[in-house]
Amino acid sequence: MAGVKIKYTKTERARQKKILKVSERMLPLFEAMEKSLMATINTISERIEKIKEEIEKNEKAAEPWIAVMSDSWVNIDEFISVNKIITKSIDVAGVRVQQYEGVDFNVMVINEDTPLWVDDAIALMQEQLQLLAEIDCLKAQIDLLEEELLDVRARVKLFENRRIPNAKMAIRKIGQKLQDDERLTIATAKVVKTGKQEGARL
Amino acid sequence: MSSMVYLVSSLPSLTFGQVPPISIDEFNNHSRSQLSERQFNILDSIDIRKTENQKNGNQSVALLIEEVFHDISEIRSAKAQNRQPALIRVPNRVVSGNPLQREEQILKWQWEELDNIESGQTFTLTVILVYKLRLQILTRLNSFDKVKGAEVLASVVNPAKNKEEK
Repeated sequence: MAGVKIKYTKTERARQKKILKVSERMLPLFEAMEKSLMATINTISERIEKIKEEIEKNEKAAEPWIAVMSDSWVNIDEFISVNKIITKSIDVAGVRVQQYEGVDFNVMVINEDTPLWVDDAIALMQEQLQLLAEIDCLKAQIDLLEEELLDVRARVKLFENRRIPNAKMAIRKIGQKLQDDERLTIATAKVVKTGKQEGARL
Repeated sequence: MSSMVYLVSSLPSLTFGQVPPISIDEFNNHSRSQLSERQFNILDSIDIRKTENQKNGNQSVALLIEEVFHDISEIRSAKAQNRQPALIRVPNRVVSGNPLQREEQILKWQWEELDNIESGQTFTLTVILVYKLRLQILTRLNSFDKVKGAEVLASVVNPAKNKEEK
């Protein structure tokens, strides 16, 4: 409010009242938005944790046979690669984000002289690559939601700390000034009236 | 014949599960110097990893390799069709367990089958062919390594993270 000049008029008081009314109506909306964004971010973070647990579980399950992946007869990375990650746009808590749909893999044809373990390794790698791609999508969602959350928080603070208190103060000051002016007008009128009456008596 | 005797006698003995005492390249170089060109071409063409060009050598060896690959294909088809595999040579017990155990059991079984092919032979080309196949089995078996395997998995699954760590 400091440095802002207030016009002490009834029109200005009406304008400030309107600002206060709108701000008090908007604040709960932004607060709800903030809560919704925080809840969504938490839900996504929990999902990421669950996926990480799943990845770890798969790694543990593969641990007893992971040695076979260094098989000198096979170059496993020739068998599988990611072509592209498929996503679709959705709205999460009012923010446009990319939702994970799946992974399109390039998988080499397995010949009869390919060792049997390659099938298991490809299945494991596909599973892990899908889970990691989902984590990447979820992390990107969190980034966008956190950006929006910062923006919403700034708005909540603006309404809480500036717009509403400023409007309230302006209304109060204008009210006091208008009241003072009214009193002064009445007092002046009385003085004038008394002066006139005394002049007439003399 | 004398060079065959020399070659067979000069090769270190092989035991299943041991670290290969010589490399395939060393074996090939040594054999090339002792065998005739025809014999070496037969030896060179034999490979436990593939089905092609095996017929020129020993029939039993070629049949073993062919039937193992046939059975591996059958295991794959049976799995895809959700049925029991009908194997012609590889015993069912060999293809149970986790992927590593399965490969080790198949290699062990192949080793034992090579015993049968080799029995009764002393200084023949068959002995040399069997030696090469055994050396391939040992080399492969020796390449199975937990740490390297984990690195291979990580290189495929998380190549970006791997690069960052390096």
